[in-house]
This record gives sequence, structure tokens and C-alpha cells, in this order.
Amino acid sequence: MKYAEAFVFAFFATVAFGVLFQGPKRILWRSGIIGGIGWVIFIVLKNGFSIHSFSANFLATIAIAVISEIFARVWKEPVTVFEIPAIIPLVPGLGMYQGMRYILNNYVNFGNEVLLGAALDSCAIALGIMMVSGIFRALKTGNDFARQRQQDLLGTEISPELYVTDPENEADNE
Amino acid sequence: MSDHKQKGLPDLVPMTKNQVMDIAMDLGKILLKSGAETNRVEDTMMRFCRSYGYYDLNVFCTPTIIILGDESPRGKSRVFRVRWRATDLGLIMDINQFSYNFRRWKMDHVQTKHWLQNRLAQSHPYRNSIVCLASGVGSACFSMLLGGDVYDFTGAFLAGFLAMSFLKTVDNFHPTPFWENFMAGMIIGLATLICNYIEPECTLESMTVGALMPFLPGLAFTNGVRDYMAGDLLSGNSRIAEAALFALSIAIGLAFVLKAWTWGGMP
Repeated sequence: MKYAEAFVFAFFATVAFGVLFQGPKRILWRSGIIGGIGWVIFIVLKNGFSIHSFSANFLATIAIAVISEIFARVWKEPVTVFEIPAIIPLVPGLGMYQGMRYILNNYVNFGNEVLLGAALDSCAIALGIMMVSGIFRALKTGNDFARQRQQDLLGTEISPELYVTDPENEADNE
Repeated sequence: MSDHKQKGLPDLVPMTKNQVMDIAMDLGKILLKSGAETNRVEDTMMRFCRSYGYYDLNVFCTPTIIILGDESPRGKSRVFRVRWRATDLGLIMDINQFSYNFRRWKMDHVQTKHWLQNRLAQSHPYRNSIVCLASGVGSACFSMLLGGDVYDFTGAFLAGFLAMSFLKTVDNFHPTPFWENFMAGMIIGLATLICNYIEPECTLESMTVGALMPFLPGLAFTNGVRDYMAGDLLSGNSRIAEAALFALSIAIGLAFVLKAWTWGGMP
């Protein structure tokens, strides 16, 4: 029951952030579902299994990213529009605020500790997103990437005639 | 334009280098102004240039500037300075969709310009009142998530709503981000203190934390780390510095009000 409550509030928080970020109406409830699931996973891991918040953030972010990829394939939208509102409940804003407040109140050591924890948590979130999106992108466009890398290396040599050295020719190009 | 020189994708309507640079610059501007990561901006612009066969165009982008340069001799470059950014997921989404459809893109330069203008005219679909309401709802839900009760829910809703309405009111004066967040922190502090004064059931901590969520730079911080991981060290540095500045300014505004409240002799 506690988790159902958490899901509902995380859902509405995610929808509200979707509106704050000016997301289109058709993606709001979908990202809300993803955000709720992510938050429930985080809470279960952190409170139920008492895992460290770095790992809990990381696993919850991986779940969010995978569900976002699936939703993106189903509804033919880019992945980030589901991801960005959905990770907002996980983002350690509380830690950043508390750290700053401790530092301003002269508890510098404790504030540093809290800030470092917040930084680690956001590293975990970024890591999860990067891993999942990297894997999915490699699966989707492996051949494209190989070709593009070749073009990156050889770009100037493949098409030397693209170098316009003749001023008259350049004027012709305008 | 001599078409035989172009090595672009076969289905595209050919464009000259100037036109390609023009549209790539527009794409970059729109993306960066609506708050995309620099990695995505660079990727989109490079992909656009390459799909038209111009492999000698290069992009450098930080959160405040876009430089689109031409590697070839006598090449021209373009610079655009971005000062005001506002998050708009819908625009990022559509431009991203466009960037994955480059190879089937059938419009020429003028039509693409028109398409972009039409899309820009529909940006920011929600009115200010709805955004303020959403800020209130988000604050209230966050105060519940971080362990509050019904009193905290109401207090956080009021605080978030008031702070966002105030920010939208002063938005026309373009305050610097520091002052914007400082004032948001002050208003949140005042609102929560007054709520606590009227109804002592409202706990200060969970109301404040919930109401602060819409103004906290969590997204900027995560974007900064993403920039680091993508290899854009400069953008990562500046985004994280921005996030730290925002968090600091909110905390300063809040601490100022809390101190002033006790100096004023209030409980």
C-alpha cells in the first residue's frame, strides 16, 4: 500500500515536471508511468533491501532507461522525452540543497559529505542512462556507426574535390 | 551549384554549402535554446552537414556558444551566442525526429526554413498559469514522496505555486539566474515560514524540500555528467558550475529569510 502511494505521487510529480519542461501532451502520462516505476524500484531497493543509494539509483535508472527504450520503440518517439521527466524523482536535489545549507550554517565537513553523496548519486544516474542508451544504439545502428567512423577518419580524403580552392569557382557556388 | 561535386545521400534535394550551414545553424540554435545537451547539438548538426556530403564542416558547441566552421581554405564560419535558455522538450523531440529522418528529407532550403519557423511558432505549448499550477503540484507530490503529510502537501503546493508565479512575473525583466533563484528561495522560505506560523502541524523541512524541487538544478547536473561521459569536458564543467551556482543561490536566499525571520523576533 505504501508503494502504491509512492507510485501515485511519483506519477503526478513526473507529469508536473513534464509540463514544466514543456513536453507535448501525448507523452505526459507515459513518462509519468515510467517515473512512478523507477521511484518504486528505488524505494524498494533502498528501504526494502537496504542497498546503498548509489547502487539503488543505478539500478532504478537502468530500469527507467530500458522501459523508456521500449516505450520509444512502441510509440515511435525519441527516448529522451520519456527519460528526462522520469529520472527527475531520482535526481538528488535534496542532497544538494541540504549540503549547501549545512555549509552555509558552518557545518562544512558534514555538508561536504552530503554534497559528495549527491554527486555520486547523479553520477550513478548518468552512468545508467549512458550504458543503456549506448547498448541500444549499438544494437540499432552498428553498421551506420562503423561507416560513420570510417568517414570520420577518411572524410577529407574521400572527397578532395569538395575543397574549393579556386575563388571563381567559389563565387559560382554562392 | 554544380551537382556532380556533391557526395550527399541520393534521395536528398541538393543544397549549396551556404544553405546547409544556414539550416544546420538554425537547428543548433533551436536545440541549444531549448536546453538540449551539447553532445546532441553537435551530433545533429554534424549529421545534417554530412548527409548533404559536406565532410569538411565542423561544429564546436558549449552551453553558451555554437561555432560552425569550414575546414577548407577560404571557408567561412558562423558563430551564434546563446544567452537565454528555456527548456522545451517538444522542440527537442521534433528536431531529433527530424535529424533521424535526414536521409528521407524531401524539402529544399526554403521549405525547410518554413517548416522550422512553423514548428517554432508552436513552441512552449503551456501557458504560464498552467506552468505555475504544475510547479505547485510537483512541489506537493515531492513533499509527500520525501515523507510529508496532508499539511505539508498543502503548504508545499502554496509555496511552489507562489514562487513560480513570482518568477513568471519578473521574467520580462530578464533577471540573471543567480537573482532569479535567490528570489525563488526567498519566497519559498517566506511561504513555508508563514505556513508553519499559522499551522504548526506543517513541518518546515519537508515543505521546503518539496517546494524547492522545481527550482533545483538536478537536470543541469545530470546533463553535465552526461557531457563529461560523452567527452565534452568544457560543457561538462560549465554545466556543473551552473548547477552549483543555482543550488548555492537558492540556499542563500532561503538561509537569508530564515535568519531574517529570527532577527525580526518571530518564533
